[in-house]
Amino acid sequence: MEMKRSKGSEQEGLGPELEGLLAKVPPPRAPAWFAAKTLARLRKEEGVAMGKPIWLAGWRWVWAAGAAALMAGWMLWERPKTSLEISDAEVFAALDALVQQDEDNRWWAGL
Amino acid sequence: MVAEVSDEELMGQIRNGDEEAFRILIERHQDRVYGTVARMVGGSGPEVEEIAQDVFLRVWRAAATYRAEAKFTTWLMTVVRNLVFTRTAQRARRKDIDGPDPVDEETGESVMTHTPDPAGRTPREALSFRELERAVEEACAELPENQRLVVHLRQYEGMEFEEIGKITGMSLTAVKSLMFRARETLKKKLSRYLSASN
Repeated sequence: MEMKRSKGSEQEGLGPELEGLLAKVPPPRAPAWFAAKTLARLRKEEGVAMGKPIWLAGWRWVWAAGAAALMAGWMLWERPKTSLEISDAEVFAALDALVQQDEDNRWWAGL
Repeated sequence: MVAEVSDEELMGQIRNGDEEAFRILIERHQDRVYGTVARMVGGSGPEVEEIAQDVFLRVWRAAATYRAEAKFTTWLMTVVRNLVFTRTAQRARRKDIDGPDPVDEETGESVMTHTPDPAGRTPREALSFRELERAVEEACAELPENQRLVVHLRQYEGMEFEEIGKITGMSLTAVKSLMFRARETLKKKLSRYLSASN
């Protein structure tokens, strides 16, 4: 620990004798695991993702849900619009055309 | 590389949720914070560790509103002071209700056993060092809270009186007055060791 003193501060401080005595008994130092334990406690209490800003970590599910909704909307909008339904009139017209073609084929064949 | 980043810059990074910056800040100031808490609370171990952790968690949470108006260490020690004073007040209230704490002496013992013995000391020297350590710890612990903080910040953190005044929220005269009274008390309590060291 640094120990700076300005000139003439001895009278205002503890004095050289007491300072010398107290300097022999420095305060305890933090244990080696202190930083790691503090960070672990922070993660537990705050639920912070490592290296991610808090606001981004908290809102990521909102961002993901929004993006998924937009994608689903776009896919619905862009889906093929051709109908698979065929009306009765179209079926009868096609059958009539087949019958007519068959008759034409028979006439040309002289049947 | 790490040493080049100032505390204020680290606080800016912490504001954006940077845990690595927070780790650097903790490692830079952990001894200062832990030592001050230990001296103020009068011991070491789980309680000191918990309060010191509280200090850093408060730093993390206050990063968003932190403004570098004073030196970072001044602000940090103000956080330490506030937390320690709150905790000791709570402890005093608890003692009023529960009566004297029966583990006080044990706590004193753990202080003595925590500080590592510098290498190369003979058992006899180690014993006299432990005696001195105990005497200094006890003398400091018996000082009123404000005096203890002023002595610690001046003696072990090397702070100027103006800076101590900002931390304690007192005028320069009041801080010097506290220091004077602390010096007189410590001189009386440690007179035996002072004369022995002459």
